[in-house]
Amino acid sequence: MKKVITGNYAVSYGAMVSRSQVIAAYPITPQTQIVELLSEFCADGLLDAKFIKVESEHSAMASCIGASATGARAFTATSAHGLALMHELLHWAALGRLPIVLANVNRAMGPGWSIWTDQNDSLSQRDTGWLQFYCESNQEILDTIIQGFKISEQILLPTMLVLDAFFLSHTSEPVDIPDIEVVDTYLPKYNATYRLSTENPYAFGGLTGPDHYFEIRYKMQETMDQAIEIARQADEEFERIFGRSHGLIERYYSDDAELILVVSGSIASTTRDVVDQLRSEGRNVGMLKVRMFRPFPRQEFRNAVRRAKKVAVIDRNICVGFGGIFYQEITSTMYGHRDDLPIFGFIAGLGGRDVTPNVIHEIVTHAETHDTPDTEIIWIGVKR
Amino acid sequence: MIEIRIHGRGGQGAVVASQVLAAALFQEGKCVQSFPTFGVERRGAPVAAFTRMDDREIRLRCEIYEPDHLMVLDPTLIEAIDVTTGLKENGWIVINSDKHFGEFHLPSKFRIATVDANAIAVKHNLGTRTAPIVNTAILGAFSRITELVSIEAIVAAVKEEVPLNPEENAAACREAYEKVRGQNITP
Amino acid sequence: MKKRKYPKDEIITFKSANEMPPLAVSLGSMRWNKTGSWRYIRPIYENKTPPCDEACPAGEDVEGVQYLCEQGKFEDAWKLILEEHPFPGVQGRVCYHPCEEACNRGHYDEAISIHAVERFVGDYGLNHGLIPPRLSQERGHKKSEKIAIIGAGPAGLVCAYHLARMGYTPLVLEAHPVPGGILRVGIPSYRLPKDILEAEIEHIIKMGVDIQTDSRVDRDLLLKDLKDFNAIYVATGAHESRNLNVPGEDASGVMSGLQFLIDLNLGKKIAIGKKVAVIGGGNTAMDTARSVLRLGSEVVVVYRRSRAEMPAIPAEVEEAEHEGIPIHFLATPIRVITDQERVVQMECVKMELGEPDESGRRRPVPVEGSNFIMDVETVFTAIGESPQLSFLTEDIQTEWGSIVVSDHGETSKKGIFAGGDAVDQPRTVAHAIGSGKVAAIAIDTFLRGKDTAKIAASVQIGQKGSVSMERYLRGEIRYNASKVVRFEDINLAYFEHKDRVDLPRADIEKAKQSFVEVNSGLPESAVTTESGRCFNCGVCNMCENCWVFCPDISISRKTDAFGYDIDYDHCKGCGICVEECPREAMSLEEEQK
Repeated sequence: MKKVITGNYAVSYGAMVSRSQVIAAYPITPQTQIVELLSEFCADGLLDAKFIKVESEHSAMASCIGASATGARAFTATSAHGLALMHELLHWAALGRLPIVLANVNRAMGPGWSIWTDQNDSLSQRDTGWLQFYCESNQEILDTIIQGFKISEQILLPTMLVLDAFFLSHTSEPVDIPDIEVVDTYLPKYNATYRLSTENPYAFGGLTGPDHYFEIRYKMQETMDQAIEIARQADEEFERIFGRSHGLIERYYSDDAELILVVSGSIASTTRDVVDQLRSEGRNVGMLKVRMFRPFPRQEFRNAVRRAKKVAVIDRNICVGFGGIFYQEITSTMYGHRDDLPIFGFIAGLGGRDVTPNVIHEIVTHAETHDTPDTEIIWIGVKR
Repeated sequence: MIEIRIHGRGGQGAVVASQVLAAALFQEGKCVQSFPTFGVERRGAPVAAFTRMDDREIRLRCEIYEPDHLMVLDPTLIEAIDVTTGLKENGWIVINSDKHFGEFHLPSKFRIATVDANAIAVKHNLGTRTAPIVNTAILGAFSRITELVSIEAIVAAVKEEVPLNPEENAAACREAYEKVRGQNITP
Repeated sequence: MKKRKYPKDEIITFKSANEMPPLAVSLGSMRWNKTGSWRYIRPIYENKTPPCDEACPAGEDVEGVQYLCEQGKFEDAWKLILEEHPFPGVQGRVCYHPCEEACNRGHYDEAISIHAVERFVGDYGLNHGLIPPRLSQERGHKKSEKIAIIGAGPAGLVCAYHLARMGYTPLVLEAHPVPGGILRVGIPSYRLPKDILEAEIEHIIKMGVDIQTDSRVDRDLLLKDLKDFNAIYVATGAHESRNLNVPGEDASGVMSGLQFLIDLNLGKKIAIGKKVAVIGGGNTAMDTARSVLRLGSEVVVVYRRSRAEMPAIPAEVEEAEHEGIPIHFLATPIRVITDQERVVQMECVKMELGEPDESGRRRPVPVEGSNFIMDVETVFTAIGESPQLSFLTEDIQTEWGSIVVSDHGETSKKGIFAGGDAVDQPRTVAHAIGSGKVAAIAIDTFLRGKDTAKIAASVQIGQKGSVSMERYLRGEIRYNASKVVRFEDINLAYFEHKDRVDLPRADIEKAKQSFVEVNSGLPESAVTTESGRCFNCGVCNMCENCWVFCPDISISRKTDAFGYDIDYDHCKGCGICVEECPREAMSLEEEQK
């Protein structure tokens, strides 16, 4: 069924058709509507889930951890400071190997207080051991929740999917909401290997000395490496059933492009229009959309830029003291592989500043007119 | 692509109007997108909501700066803010007002239409006399004036999207469709 | 980092990062954001009418008195009452205090002891030799018109007092040898000591009012001596006792209760028997019975209806009973039995209550065969009094034995005004005072050629006919919106339950042996405590709640006057000030778009 819905509602529908069994969430702008609709689903009997009202995001994640440990499919959603408050338990969920799915609405961190989008909230959780997907459209949001459970329950690591505040969360567009029975064929019931149970009791998360902790970390990384392939398969299987896929690193007119723009989130969508226009003008520009950020599909990225002459990374985030975070990832990924490839790091759209086609044109023009970047950070649109 | 901006005050339902319009256009096979002003909405404060429509997939994910047409739910906004900012030439401004469209002194490059949506809303028991809910009625007027979307699609979308009093809202749409007056639109 | 100054009322827009501070910090204000334009409803800061004020027939600023007394400002409180009438000492003793009946606090715990507070204030004024407040030279300048006032009772004296304040020199003609009317000759001194009354009348005399006693006005005098007066106020009261209309009534032992009180108050010797019956249930009956008791006789009150229908002030009935006076309810005399012209017995019949009569009270009906005999030597009748109006010329219309007047005290004859018990109104001192004020305003507006009705309407307090002389004489000073504050309007969260302070009760055995005042007053500390219980319904006392609670900082204290200003540019109409105002001095109004 196709419906015109907001990104927030796409999250709620995604959690519903995935048959989430426990939902524990705390409202925060701009995520609130997700929680509202899910609580309505539960109240109206459209979703057979336990909806746990909690007093904070910390408790929300704690509840999801407990629920997931019993083998239930657990879901939550948050944003910005809510995600930051969860930080300790994000580690817990990952190290506890719990396949929780979390939707984070990208919102800038305060103060100065902002409810508008940028990626620093989710990127600050980069090292917690969660998979991260950055979404471009409402359809992709819904699909990524289903895929997230599918991937997480195979590898026992949690998934965070990320959507831009307002540009997605509050924007309505047509979304195909798949039939729940069809989703069932893609996403079978979760069957936990280790679970909290009175019949076969385990203790979880016990003291782990130097003899073993190291190996736990090793196994996590091993799994993360496998996750790339599992995610690819999950996307392919999704396409077979639902007729659409989203890729991990999506190539858009990039194979023969001299300049490749590397983007994520809703900026990717606007960039497609710009690329189309530039192509029509005969300018050889393409785009790579980084959908999967953790684990980072390094080899896939390297393959995608094999023939490029320049790469321009657009970061809607900043690692203060270093630069754009995607830029870091990509320079690191390319180290020793294409030392001749200039990588430009652009910072744009922080705190919800609009990234319009003009902004992207400015970035393209800058990259086209410079052989190499003058600085590690190129600020676009900042009022100096 | 056609871009539409709806001006109202917090609580008047501009956002719902933008969504209903998108849903109606979608039913007619258009690609659509709608969104509110990004930010905090306060009851009574000026707000805006937006709808994009196109025959092909809409990939622009930025705000709307140069709309093709406007709807104004509260005529006092015309005094309070410059509603015409960025409006394209020849754009329609559909205003909820009991005044004749000729009484509004807006630049002549725009086309004005008015409909007394307050009276229509009150007649159909939508909201109260002091705070009538006019967001559905104005869409009926918009349908007639711009011919971008059929009244049937609007009415169907209203019934689908508006949870309270769908029949009354649909009737208000139809009445506003009949009663709207603007340049070249006569009874 | 250098700090810069920015205009407070403008949006600060930075052109470059260099201009900005490194953190989010307020450099200006949000005053440019005129949030008031978003409002659907607006708060109105306007004093309302307290129910006590509306209920007071004398038009006192009851709430204002409590407000001042709470702060110990007794001199100001006394002067506030004197703006309305010159008798706080009297009224603090004899008023039937309907204000307490109306007091909103009565719905919470107990009404304020307004009556007791007034007595304290009255006594305070007398004890401290206070002088009535004067009007400005402009308002009170000397006026030449001649005004005669017939009757020096409360109505006449109050009228004279206010006319004198306005600059007139009224002449008051009194039939009795002393001024004061019923206050002086009707009410016994154990209720109203003579010195209190005399001292308050002295204030009036000192203002230049000429009171001629022993001057009974007859038709001849009215037509001749008063012919060239510009205005006459008739306030002759109601002194004619109604007859019992039973056999044996003419016997010498059957007397008018009111006349007995008059004689007693004028110091005359009256011979009464050892066993006395008083017929009636009004204040005259109570006063008569209690006076008889003090003269050493045995007394019984016979009243034809039940307690609920008694017209006397309940407190007076209670005190009479407290002093041991039996009241024989539902009985009426049908015959006075004499032996050699001396009353020896009275035959009565028992009554039962039937259908309500035109007064709304249930009509007593004799019970057949229930006759009984009482041994009595003196019978006092106190079944009602009527005005004596034979001196009036025919062009002054009367009806049912009373003078017909307009709402403003105007009789059917131009220039002649009337009030007090001589007109058809409740026979209370408070009503007499109120009518004296109404007449003073009507006479002044008449003599100055102004629109009496319009002006009278502008000085009304509530809807029960009371007027504010302060507002008439001093303009907007005591302006209250006509809305009378209801109990539901009070925010009870701001008031703690607290017991009412009542007048200390006298030693009965001692009291009933003399004509010394029965009740003593309240001590000063009790008065401030008691006034502090007042809700101050509808009248701002600057408790600061609105100012403290306003989330938009849209309420500010007036810099040059009492009260607050509301900044409608920023008030969003949230209504919190209205909710938190304990006393309805803030109210909401729909915004007119």
